[in-house]
Amino acid sequence: MKKIIDFFRSLKLTVVLLCLSMVLVFAGTLAQVDKGIWTVMDQYFRCLIAWIDLHVFFPRSMDIPDVRIPFPGGFLIGWLLVINLITVHWASFKVQVSGGRKVAGIVFLLLGVLVTAGVMFGWGTASVAATESDAFWRVFLRLGRGTLAAVVFYIACLLLYRKRAGMVLLHGGILFLLIGEFATALFAVEATMTIKEGETVSYIDHSRQLELSFTDTSNPDFDTVTVVPGDALKDGALIKPDGLPFDIKVNRYMVNSNNPQPLQGISESLRSRYPQYEGHGARLYVTEQPEASGASGTRNAPAVDVELFNRATGDSLGRYILSLWFYPNFVNRSWDMPTNITVGDKDYTVYFRFRREYVTSPSGNPYSIKLLDFVHEKYEGTQMPKDFASQILLINEGDQVERELRIWMNNPLRYARRTFYQSGYLPDDSGTVLQVVRNDSWMIPYLSCMIVFVGMAAQFVQSLSRHLRREG
Amino acid sequence: MRKTIINTIVVLFAVWFFQSGVKPPKEAATDFQLNAFAHLPVKFDGRKKPIDTFARNFLTVLSDKQSVRSADGNRISATQWLLDTVSGRPEAMDYAVFRIENLDVLSSLGLEERKRFRYSYRELLPNLGKLDTAARSAYGKEDRQRDLYDKQIMKVANKIYLFQNIMASFEDPSGIPQEQLMATAQRYTRLENYSIPLVIPPGSGNPRWRPLMSSLLSTHAARPDPLAAEFAAMLAASRTGEATSFNDALHKYGAQLQTENPAVFEKLSFEVFYNRLGAFMKSASLYLLVFVLSLFGWLFRKEGLVGAARTLMVCAFVPHTFAIVARSFLSGYPPVTNLYSSAIFIGWAAVAAGIIIEIGFRKRSAGMGNLVGGIAGFATLLIAHFLAGDGDTMEQMRAVLDTRFWLATHVITISLGYMATFVSGTIGVFYIFSGLLTRRLDKETAENMYRMMYGTTCFALLFSFVGTVLGGLWADDSWGRFWGWDPKENGALLIVLWNAIMLHARYGGMVKDRGFAVMAVAGNIVTAWSWFGVNQLSVGLHSYGFTQSASFWLTVFVSTQFVVVLLGLVPARLWRSGATR
Repeated sequence: MKKIIDFFRSLKLTVVLLCLSMVLVFAGTLAQVDKGIWTVMDQYFRCLIAWIDLHVFFPRSMDIPDVRIPFPGGFLIGWLLVINLITVHWASFKVQVSGGRKVAGIVFLLLGVLVTAGVMFGWGTASVAATESDAFWRVFLRLGRGTLAAVVFYIACLLLYRKRAGMVLLHGGILFLLIGEFATALFAVEATMTIKEGETVSYIDHSRQLELSFTDTSNPDFDTVTVVPGDALKDGALIKPDGLPFDIKVNRYMVNSNNPQPLQGISESLRSRYPQYEGHGARLYVTEQPEASGASGTRNAPAVDVELFNRATGDSLGRYILSLWFYPNFVNRSWDMPTNITVGDKDYTVYFRFRREYVTSPSGNPYSIKLLDFVHEKYEGTQMPKDFASQILLINEGDQVERELRIWMNNPLRYARRTFYQSGYLPDDSGTVLQVVRNDSWMIPYLSCMIVFVGMAAQFVQSLSRHLRREG
Repeated sequence: MRKTIINTIVVLFAVWFFQSGVKPPKEAATDFQLNAFAHLPVKFDGRKKPIDTFARNFLTVLSDKQSVRSADGNRISATQWLLDTVSGRPEAMDYAVFRIENLDVLSSLGLEERKRFRYSYRELLPNLGKLDTAARSAYGKEDRQRDLYDKQIMKVANKIYLFQNIMASFEDPSGIPQEQLMATAQRYTRLENYSIPLVIPPGSGNPRWRPLMSSLLSTHAARPDPLAAEFAAMLAASRTGEATSFNDALHKYGAQLQTENPAVFEKLSFEVFYNRLGAFMKSASLYLLVFVLSLFGWLFRKEGLVGAARTLMVCAFVPHTFAIVARSFLSGYPPVTNLYSSAIFIGWAAVAAGIIIEIGFRKRSAGMGNLVGGIAGFATLLIAHFLAGDGDTMEQMRAVLDTRFWLATHVITISLGYMATFVSGTIGVFYIFSGLLTRRLDKETAENMYRMMYGTTCFALLFSFVGTVLGGLWADDSWGRFWGWDPKENGALLIVLWNAIMLHARYGGMVKDRGFAVMAVAGNIVTAWSWFGVNQLSVGLHSYGFTQSASFWLTVFVSTQFVVVLLGLVPARLWRSGATR
């Protein structure tokens, strides 16, 4: 037991872990030349064991064997650092005060926790927060709140640890930052919302999750939507969704697919091997592509090759290729290509699309956003963008919210625990694309930044003044 | 007393050095009044600037220089070159301004290799069609499939296209026959989609900046635009060499603009002064001198030499500071907005750190602050000089980056972090060289140098940590992602990690003075990679800082630092200073 503790309380372990993390970060950076950011994140950082591709360290022109080296992953290094940090502090930084001073220290510590919680959960901030003024004040205000928490903690540390207050505080801040980032990695959700001018939208597209949606349009009064989550679409799987009169057999799930090309323009050799599809696949060429890399600036467009079977008779209803390229929000509304299927007396509209979620406020009431106007300014005499801005109307009838707001570069809207950022635009500036993020730990970096800063600055100023005294 | 005299001489020398070239050459009343012409406003790349700046930048893009030599060997200023060229003077075709250094490109254009690699438009003219074909094929390829030849062809073709577009934007359409007007108007509309200089400022009845050719064309049928007409008259007079009518038109143009839109002249003469001062290159030369003087002073313990160098460093630091402030004032942005300005800012901060070391350690620094400030100031300003070839260094910011608050906090802090790591690393290099090659590194000196390194590393950690987190907060504020593992973020993180490793290795007793010095030098590699190397990957949201030739110099720098690290690991008994320790 003592050996284990000695192992964990050694600064050598800290240095080794930090060196390992440098190697990991370096490899993860180089890997982005070939791979998309999300793949790299899963393969290198958000895992216990990372698999480093050997070839990332060499120029791409060299022929390097396809070897993968196991390496401690981001989560493993992170947790070991946390344990290391806590044991070192537990062993080397003992509270050396007692009596009233100790009590006062603990009181300040609790006060600090209270302030931190208040800052994190946004006590005293507006429920609909869009910036009307400069980014300057908003960020300063947040950093100011972080400083408040940091100063209270510093007083607590000063009471409890005297001269080593700065050291303890700054490492506490690092710990907080690591935990915050871990929470973000696990819980933060990124999505987008695409709105044409004049349109009202009440759902978001989850950027990293896909689904197969079947909309029964036979009833004139309402549509019935059945979705198959993207995780179920494994090669060879046979899916029997409730509420649909047919089964889905997955022939091939493609991580990335090409921008569909007319079949006439494709060479004969490729066309002869191309499956006989119904729907869009009958006249368009859709095929698997290597994964998009972070360097190319493109996104993966998954596609799925399925065959449908009538559940009652077992007859084939045809083979279909369903690509994300057919989904209008993926192509910034350049086109809309639903696949239409008729089974018995029912008509279905089929999309392979981003997972759709209808947004609600914390009280459970749905809300929607209407785009009133989109502005795209350029610098005079250039094509360089100067500003993008969306003038929107936020409507939540249940909560009696109806407000006209502006979302523009660096000035997001925060509402109902989600943040809406200006992210892109539709062709001819006819609409906007908002990035929608839900991350409940988003204030932690502001707090921990200031905590570390106060701790580090206090420590360094202390050693500096000692040095200057010695210099005389 | 002796010290005062030396200091006075140093200051006088610096003043003389900086004032040279600020005053424009004398112009007689009968000469072309180029100085006044250089002060006229133009809007290009989204920023209002004097013609002087526009001409200098344009010429730099084409030839990597701010002046040109005529056929008979006279030095011609950028403004005169521009005037001669856009007005269509016959000799302008023969100015050798296109720098083409790739031999394959030269041979495909039928040109001989020559000293300085500069060619005139007339020499290029016969093979422009060939160049265009090659460039189109290169543009058609995907970036990864382009070879060196393709890239060089594109580089040359871009220069030619820019040149042609700018020439066309100064055309005078008055000679164009009636039946071709429609086609010309269409051509001008297409041209306006490119980045071309807008020389006619907003005036009465015209709220926008316009290029000359369109303003002249629109006046064809309707009432004449007096500003455009005067500008055209200037160019016509320049073409035929009539100085008096040129000056006449120039004065009328200036007077008219003064009454219609006096605000347009704001900041222009200051910018011309800033250009002529050329403070950064002059400071760079002085910093080199500081370094050389201090090196002798330090090695041979000559206190007087070190003192003189210190004064000189402060003298060079003042104009350096002034020029950074001036850039901020002119561009309206905080000091660091692109690679160029980060280099001059990091250099400035490194010199400031050198001065602080000199003050903080008083006598015991023995000129180490000068050494660091001198070499860092010189090197970074030289880097900046080579980065300036892309055009206007005071460019407008793209929409994502256009937040002065974040530029002022995140970018400045992170630059200070880079600077402190470099300063510590530079001291490490001196430590290793002086220990290995000289007997200068005695116990006391080693102790002092270690403390300098330790102190700057502490600040490097503080700045790079806070700067990195602020960068994350900017990202969170812009697109809701505090940390996205973007290459530039990772680069900054590597610096933070490395500084943390250094300090922990020291606290844990894993390294002593020498080990710390070696680690500090390795810090140079980490920092250089994150400053320039990351951009070479051209991945991610920070890829706006992409530059081409930098990757070669980065490799050179990293290799030299690596050699220094290895030298630092040579056993202490082989060090010349080893015995004295």
